[in-house]
Amino acid sequence: MWNSIPPLLKGTVVTLELTFLLLVVGLAVGIPLALGQVYGGRGLVLLSSIYEQIFRSIPALVLLFLFFFGSSFIGLNISAFLSAVLALGFRSSAYQSQIFRGAIQSIPQGQMTAARSLGMGKFQAIRHIILPQALRLSLPPWSNEYSSVVKDTSLAYAVGVIELVREGRYIIVRTFEPMIIYITIAVIYFILTYAGNKSLGYLEEKLKVPGFETKGRKE
Amino acid sequence: MSVNQAVTLKVENIHKTYSREEVLKGISFEVKKGETKVIIGPSGTGKSTLLRCVNRLTVPDAGRIWLDGTEITHPRTDINKVRQSIGMVFQDFNLFSHLSALDNVRIGLIKVKKMEKGEATEEAMRQLARVGLEDKAAAYPAELSGGQQQRVSIARALAMGPKLMLFDEPTSALDPELIGEVLEAMRDLAESGMTMVVVSHEMGFARSVCNEIVFIENGVIVEQGPPYLLFEDPQHQRTKQFLCKITELYGKSERK
Amino acid sequence: MAKRKMGLVFAVVVLMVLVLGSGVISPAAEKKVYIVASDISWLPFEWKNEAGNYVGFELDVMREIAKLEGYRIEIKDVTWSSIIPGVEAGKYDIGASGVTITGKREEVVDFSEPYWKSDQAVLIRKDSGLNIITALSEGRTVGAQKGTTGADWIQINLIEKGVKVELKLYETYSLAVLDLVNENIDAVLQDEPASRASVAKEKAIEIAGIIVTGEEFGFLVKDGDPYGLLSKINEGMKKLHASGQWDKLVAKYFGE
Repeated sequence: MWNSIPPLLKGTVVTLELTFLLLVVGLAVGIPLALGQVYGGRGLVLLSSIYEQIFRSIPALVLLFLFFFGSSFIGLNISAFLSAVLALGFRSSAYQSQIFRGAIQSIPQGQMTAARSLGMGKFQAIRHIILPQALRLSLPPWSNEYSSVVKDTSLAYAVGVIELVREGRYIIVRTFEPMIIYITIAVIYFILTYAGNKSLGYLEEKLKVPGFETKGRKE
Repeated sequence: MSVNQAVTLKVENIHKTYSREEVLKGISFEVKKGETKVIIGPSGTGKSTLLRCVNRLTVPDAGRIWLDGTEITHPRTDINKVRQSIGMVFQDFNLFSHLSALDNVRIGLIKVKKMEKGEATEEAMRQLARVGLEDKAAAYPAELSGGQQQRVSIARALAMGPKLMLFDEPTSALDPELIGEVLEAMRDLAESGMTMVVVSHEMGFARSVCNEIVFIENGVIVEQGPPYLLFEDPQHQRTKQFLCKITELYGKSERK
Repeated sequence: MAKRKMGLVFAVVVLMVLVLGSGVISPAAEKKVYIVASDISWLPFEWKNEAGNYVGFELDVMREIAKLEGYRIEIKDVTWSSIIPGVEAGKYDIGASGVTITGKREEVVDFSEPYWKSDQAVLIRKDSGLNIITALSEGRTVGAQKGTTGADWIQINLIEKGVKVELKLYETYSLAVLDLVNENIDAVLQDEPASRASVAKEKAIEIAGIIVTGEEFGFLVKDGDPYGLLSKINEGMKKLHASGQWDKLVAKYFGE
């Protein structure tokens, strides 16, 4: 049992890499998407909605295959890992944009008004006034997205990424002892999820502004 | 009160319609440099809308507005630049919730006026001191009382060095005991020579500092004139009625 | 402004042409490294050993042939169901995973000479008291890996012929065997050589009997064999047989 730990840890590292990168993709696409939906003109709002609908309606597994095989179809040769990062990343961006959109929309209109009345341009106001508040508000639901995404990475095996679950399967095929391996894997996922949520909670504490959660209520 | 002849704000024939109802039906007035004008009238008569037209937060359907010779309503005017010269104080304060009082006052200087941080901090502290809140510089809006928040928002607007200050019912959201401190700050400001347009029903304030009261009802200016005239000898029955009513509700004298 | 936009559009178009063109225009002459795709969880043909290396009869054969014929390979672990689509899409160059040569598959990919003859074995629990007939009769649940000839056999020769067995499909044979051991199913239909390996590893099961299907495994490449790999593979196999190395590998992995 103990010599199954090293390969499982190898798989864990891959799982973590996958998780981190896809969350970054999700963030990088999700924030502009949310901004487009809140502040954009009709065209932008429509496009963002379509994008969101598509990536939330297609099962993750199907998206993985679409990216992996579809890429060669258009002449691009991307690795399994990259297609997993992109497929799951874009999918996450659709969910993340929802989170950010909700947060942005929950900020009272007066914040933007006050910023504009100081002479800030729209983007300045978004950057310095709206986003700092929206991102703080987004932390709890984003923590959920993290938990979700960590588990989704196990689907990447389908396009050949050797992550934690796959490493576990190699061992089971060899030893015919599934329970101990699966329990170990479950514990590892638990630790990953718990540690991640705890870290995000810590971040939330650090960024906390007195009375911020109760903002919106008047004196 | 000494008043310059130069006209700071000129509002000409403003019309605005909201969902098929015409809220402003041709408002025109002038504010000279150093003057304080108070706009009164029943709720929903577009007073806020009028103020918001001045810094183009709302775009009027017709009419023109000039600030010191620059036409605000002209489509090619850089409105962000103009807004730096107009300070606005809101009924709901609208302090930036994630920033301390100091940062609230500072941010416009740093990000919009591109001031150096040190210089901006000095100026911000000066403004906070002016409204009597220098010791609350590190406090966050949620930690301040309503009156304190409003004073910080006045400091925030003043820090930008505006030519004109707009007040949109600045004390309407405050508890009675807190109104006084805000009115005091506003009075000091008026006496120091700031050009101000105030929408309010604080008659004590109006009587003591303003040069002219403008009474708007149903989208038009019913009557305007110096306070003593409107209170003692109003031209219109409606003016008299309205003034009586709010004096009854809000008292004649200033609250401390 | 317009000129810059035009330049940008032009650059994007050129970039797209280069990207798309690279997949279409490049002549398929030779590659530096060929990707061998295998579902590396099927003893004794391919699996990952304790030391963390990909081992197995099939993989070793691939390695030896590559050495003999002078090309480099990279072995990639993929899911069974993605081997043929992957080879077709050009993501992988060779499929080596105990793939039985069937007419249906030949329509989509090209096979090498057969390198292994296999029948199907029926696996049962030692204590079940079943034989090859009763294990595959009405009311029994038989397991097989999805997309394999074993699964097809049950479908075609039992279910479609009116024998009411339940076919349970699994992602890998190891899962099927586990279910058998755990008494969730009654039998497993799996290629004979792998079945022998399963029985060697798992003491609770045994082979009830062999169904002679005369299946043959082949290595597969993309339809049309763009890199001329099949001739190399076939040549390599001949050489391995001639030198006795083939038999050595068989002995290594299949014991007896």
